[in-house]
Amino acid sequence: MESTEALIDCQSVWKVFGDRSDEAIRAIAERDLTKQDILRQYNCVVGVSNASLQVRRGEIFCIMGLSGSGKSTLIRLLNRLIEPSLGRIMVKGRDIAALDAAELRQMRARHIGMVFQSVALLPQRTVLENAAFGLEVQGVPRDQRNRAAEAALAKVGLSDWKARFPAELSGGMQQRVGLARALTSDPEIILMDEPFSALDPLIRRQLQDEFRQLTKDLGKSAVFITHDLDEAIRIGDRIAIMKDGIIIQTGTAEEIVVNPADQYVADFVAGISRLHLIRAHSVMQPLVRWQGVTDGLPRCSPDADIDALIGLITSTGSDAVAVEEGGRLLGIVTIRDLLLGVRGETEARAA
Amino acid sequence: MEELVSAFDAQVDNALFWLADHASFVFDFCRLVLEGLYAGVLGLLMLPPFYVIAALAGLLAWRVLGLVPGVVTAAALALCAAMMLWPETMSTLALVIAATVIALATGLPLGVLAGLLPRLEKLLTPALDLVQTLPPYIYLLPSIALLGYGPATALIATVIVAMPPAIRLTALGIRQTPREFIELGHATGVTPLQMFLKIRLPFAVPSIMAGVNQSLMMAFGMVVIAGIVGSGGLGETIYGAIRTLDIATSINASIAIVVLTMVLDRVTQAAARTK
Repeated sequence: MESTEALIDCQSVWKVFGDRSDEAIRAIAERDLTKQDILRQYNCVVGVSNASLQVRRGEIFCIMGLSGSGKSTLIRLLNRLIEPSLGRIMVKGRDIAALDAAELRQMRARHIGMVFQSVALLPQRTVLENAAFGLEVQGVPRDQRNRAAEAALAKVGLSDWKARFPAELSGGMQQRVGLARALTSDPEIILMDEPFSALDPLIRRQLQDEFRQLTKDLGKSAVFITHDLDEAIRIGDRIAIMKDGIIIQTGTAEEIVVNPADQYVADFVAGISRLHLIRAHSVMQPLVRWQGVTDGLPRCSPDADIDALIGLITSTGSDAVAVEEGGRLLGIVTIRDLLLGVRGETEARAA
Repeated sequence: MEELVSAFDAQVDNALFWLADHASFVFDFCRLVLEGLYAGVLGLLMLPPFYVIAALAGLLAWRVLGLVPGVVTAAALALCAAMMLWPETMSTLALVIAATVIALATGLPLGVLAGLLPRLEKLLTPALDLVQTLPPYIYLLPSIALLGYGPATALIATVIVAMPPAIRLTALGIRQTPREFIELGHATGVTPLQMFLKIRLPFAVPSIMAGVNQSLMMAFGMVVIAGIVGSGGLGETIYGAIRTLDIATSINASIAIVVLTMVLDRVTQAAARTK
């Protein structure tokens, strides 16, 4: 299922805002300049700085950062709502900077859906007409586009609301319509720009799970922007953490929590529950360091999470769990390892 | 300084005379078109007897405003006929309709362009400021020099006064499309024409309708003033009554004007709100 093909390939992309951005870009290309240097010397703001990322087919890729980190700029570079200052962005193998106006419209209409934080449902149109907007723009006949829109609304559970106007819907329902609108044109890539940030926590959780399920079921790829690390972990297959326009770290939730790239990321992940995030293979110690016998120990797979290991230990009364794969012992997880794991420290780091 | 001013005045006079002498065919043509339009609308309004028009207006007011306003509208128009001012009322209405149609036919497209092109708006704004600050009588003078005494002159002056609000409010409506919807359009892959028709225009409709209503009201004000240049209608009735100090007639005509203004204002405002 996991394919390594990169649907979106962002190569050393920069975005610099300001009247003298051309000069600033030339200077960046020639010598190493920091964001502060560029602001001081050229009075230009660096939105995105030397960002590289690949989004694979079928993957949900989260970009996490606080406000001002450049994440909203970065996602708008992917469908060229913002033109990059430097670097290359390949979408489905095509350099999107090289597309002419008509090709770019085609690309956006057919291959890249987008969902906004503000939802942006047209208030004069019904839910159905909003959901069908993308196909209407492409000139698809009314019957056909309404059928597609109804199918998309059914997927987000809003079939009964198609004749209503956006103002009659709650915030969560409106965002569902936003998602249905993006799905109606059946694009391969969906860009989600902080879609759930304005919703209350319970609804947000529910939509996160629905979104992940739906995206996986339909085999879509998504880039999901958020300022909430919990959300990124819940939704993303991989996560990129941004600060000051720079991608500090890219990896799975577990990689980031276990091995934060710097203090900033470490502070961020400090409050995250490790129970379902960290797996046996990250906390186990090598067999050679285990002095006791392994025969009577309960067994688990390397992918078992800490929560499962705690369950094993408490139910069997054992001091340790043996990790095995395909009948071969890989290592041992002691209670100490588990406790360190819960705190986000592995044996190697603690020692 | 004095010489300079009189030289300037002489130039303006000469230019006007030159236009009247050499471009008369243009103005004759304008006059023909304007009077034709006016006569057409008036002919239509005078075709049925007054009670049919009053009933139709009442029906329209009933549809958009409710039963009571509908009845009041019909009764108020019947009152105009009872005051023996029906032909004058209808010719004023015809003038207003003709002037507003011309003002909107030019003002709405201009407003759209100004809303889309900030440079054009920068150019138009001082011109509109000037038109709106000058006393409206001013427009009667050059018009009368070029088009002569009669409804055509009244129409042109009325159009000049009625156009600015339509331009301004249309431009405002087109300009103030919320940013997130412009972004939605781009991200969906709309063509520039679709961006205008499907996104900018629907958001501009309330503002445009306010502009239409404002134009109509300005046209009303000016049509009455234009009685001085022989516009015909209630304006001329009032002007005549003032000259002969016929207070009763001037009050009757004023009542008729108030009736017409109120009906058109309320009906167009309600129509703007419902759409």
